[in-house]
Amino acid sequence: MASADEPVRARSRRGADRYRWSARGFVAPGVFLVAVLLYLPLLWTTFLSLTDYNGLRDPEWTGIDNYTEMFSDPQFVGSMLNTLLWVAGTLIVPVGIGLGVALLTWNLKGGTWLRLPFLIPYALSGIGVGVIWSFILGSNGALDQALAAFGIADTPRWLLDSPLNTIVMIGATAWQGVGVNALLFTIGLQSIPKEPLEAARLDGATGFRLFRSILWPMLRPLTAVVVGLSIVASLKTFDIVQGMTKGGPGQSSETLALTMYKKTFVNSDYGLGSAIAVFLTVVTLIASILYLRQQLSSKHEG
Amino acid sequence: MRSPKALLGVTAVVTAALVLAACGKGGGDDTGATTGTLDFYTNKAAWEPDFTELNADSKSGAQIELKFTGYSDAAQYDAFIRQSFRTDKSPGLFTWQTGPQLAEVVKEGLVAETTDIWTKAVNEGWVSPGLRDTYTYDGKQYCVPMNIAYWVMYYNKKVFAEQNIAVPTTWAELDAAATKLKGAGVTPYYQTSTLFTFPWFQQLVAGTDPALYKGLATGEVKYTDPRIVEIMKTWRAQEDAGWFSDPGSTVDPAVGLKQGDYAMINFGSFFNGSLDGAGMKSGEDYDMFVIPAVNPALTNTPVAVESGPLCVAANSSQKTLGLTYSQWWMSPEAQTAWSKARGDVAFNPKATVADPMLQKLGTTVAGGGHETFDRYYEATPTPILTVALEQFGAFIANPGDPLPFLEAIQAEADKYWAEKK
Repeated sequence: MASADEPVRARSRRGADRYRWSARGFVAPGVFLVAVLLYLPLLWTTFLSLTDYNGLRDPEWTGIDNYTEMFSDPQFVGSMLNTLLWVAGTLIVPVGIGLGVALLTWNLKGGTWLRLPFLIPYALSGIGVGVIWSFILGSNGALDQALAAFGIADTPRWLLDSPLNTIVMIGATAWQGVGVNALLFTIGLQSIPKEPLEAARLDGATGFRLFRSILWPMLRPLTAVVVGLSIVASLKTFDIVQGMTKGGPGQSSETLALTMYKKTFVNSDYGLGSAIAVFLTVVTLIASILYLRQQLSSKHEG
Repeated sequence: MRSPKALLGVTAVVTAALVLAACGKGGGDDTGATTGTLDFYTNKAAWEPDFTELNADSKSGAQIELKFTGYSDAAQYDAFIRQSFRTDKSPGLFTWQTGPQLAEVVKEGLVAETTDIWTKAVNEGWVSPGLRDTYTYDGKQYCVPMNIAYWVMYYNKKVFAEQNIAVPTTWAELDAAATKLKGAGVTPYYQTSTLFTFPWFQQLVAGTDPALYKGLATGEVKYTDPRIVEIMKTWRAQEDAGWFSDPGSTVDPAVGLKQGDYAMINFGSFFNGSLDGAGMKSGEDYDMFVIPAVNPALTNTPVAVESGPLCVAANSSQKTLGLTYSQWWMSPEAQTAWSKARGDVAFNPKATVADPMLQKLGTTVAGGGHETFDRYYEATPTPILTVALEQFGAFIANPGDPLPFLEAIQAEADKYWAEKK
């Protein structure tokens, strides 16, 4: 009996092998693309960050020199502080206002029409937003002229003084980003089941009480996504700053992404630029993991 | 990707790809062609019409036509050219930057030698031997000059006439003119806090002591040198006196001069094109003068000169074609045509310059009593330059004690020169 079974099992194993190999064949192109387009650049950048490379010669191994140089550079510390300001600022302003807009309009008839204008700037590229706002905020720009019409002549130097320049640039980002945050929060609000809401209302919850006890906890999964996206986006802030101040005057409004760009492409110090890129990647990764783990853990579900 | 096998597979693929990427080195073989279409790369995308116009002349003069590829972002262009040396597509002709940037690619043996072309040009009187020095490394020449520009003072003629101001010929007269303008409610000078933050520093230092200026470029003089601090104090006093325009203005500098937002602007002689474009008439609405030396004891007035090179990659498949074009480029015919197309000063004294104002500037500087020096932007090693441009920008935005700004620049300079040793 057993001997009669053998060939059958062998055949089926061969079949499984063939199946496995053909499956691998189908997966291979995808794996190859991901490897070449995503893993390879990451590994290459990490490798470059441990070398001295000017784009002309072959990279020269220098170990952690670039990292020591990076952390001992006061300019790098300045960029890091500005980047932190961006993270905090974009959490408070575009996310906060976005939530506000969503809360005020989701229950209204025609609320879509009220939210729509906020979405229009989202169609612009970051550089476009930067160029437009630099004309508004430049010395004697549109804003100064508008204020002068009301007799306010002594206006702040919006883009020349730090940290005001970073703050107004966060404002420009908010102008663009509020709409999409409002849209996401609205979707979240609309997906909240009707029953608990009605129950809460019957219990007399309205206004802030309703928001704090019912809406906010039930929005949590969506808030986690919006805040997570906002943290990642603000850590890599580049386009608006490049379009408005180029990190200046001096380095007063420089972010880490700008420092990375300058070291790499302006100074052709590819090693140091890569080190900053790796640092930025690690920080973003850690921030995302810590935040999402804390937010989406089962503790909060109950 | 939980199984170690899959991880191994991905690692293998990545390694293979890395090896492939690393193998893409080397260059093309020179085809030896001397006529045809030459691939030309530049970061001066805006000059495309000028080069297109020149094609008619180069076709009849050298049977070569340029295929123009323009970048408008200098940093992006720089990265592109650097990478192209590592492929078989290195350019037959490309623009670069003189000073440490050119020295770097010459040292790596990446650009073709042009000694023969220079020897012929100097012998024919097509170019001054002084300019040759800018292109000389270890006694050999590399690249040819694409253009030159002198850094001078442009002024609004109408404003000068209204205030009854004559063209200043000494530093004291320039100061007097600025004082008078300010008194009449006109801002004397233009300034900006991004990129072009260096001209006034360059002018003040070189005009005070050319040797001091050269010392900064070679690292022999520190930015914190008491003499430099003293010069910065002069600049600060002028800032405090309100002699400079609002650095945060987004008004185009040419338009600002036209509107009379300020009376003068220190710029390279290529600025004629921008002013013409803004609707001002050369010689009628605006004119220029060589900025007098700060130190009246100097025998020659220092004039900043900017020269951009036209280079051929040593391993390009179009090397011969590029060098043939470079040879033609130096000739008076080519430079006359180029001056007409571009509206710029010509480095070749035998060329005819279309704009009489620029022709006059060329002869003035070439004549006695003047001495050219390399513009700060080209003279300064890039990492130091990056910090210096930012620090001057910060100083311009918030003029104050100059020492912290100078110390920041010197810190970068110390780092740079320590690595060079």
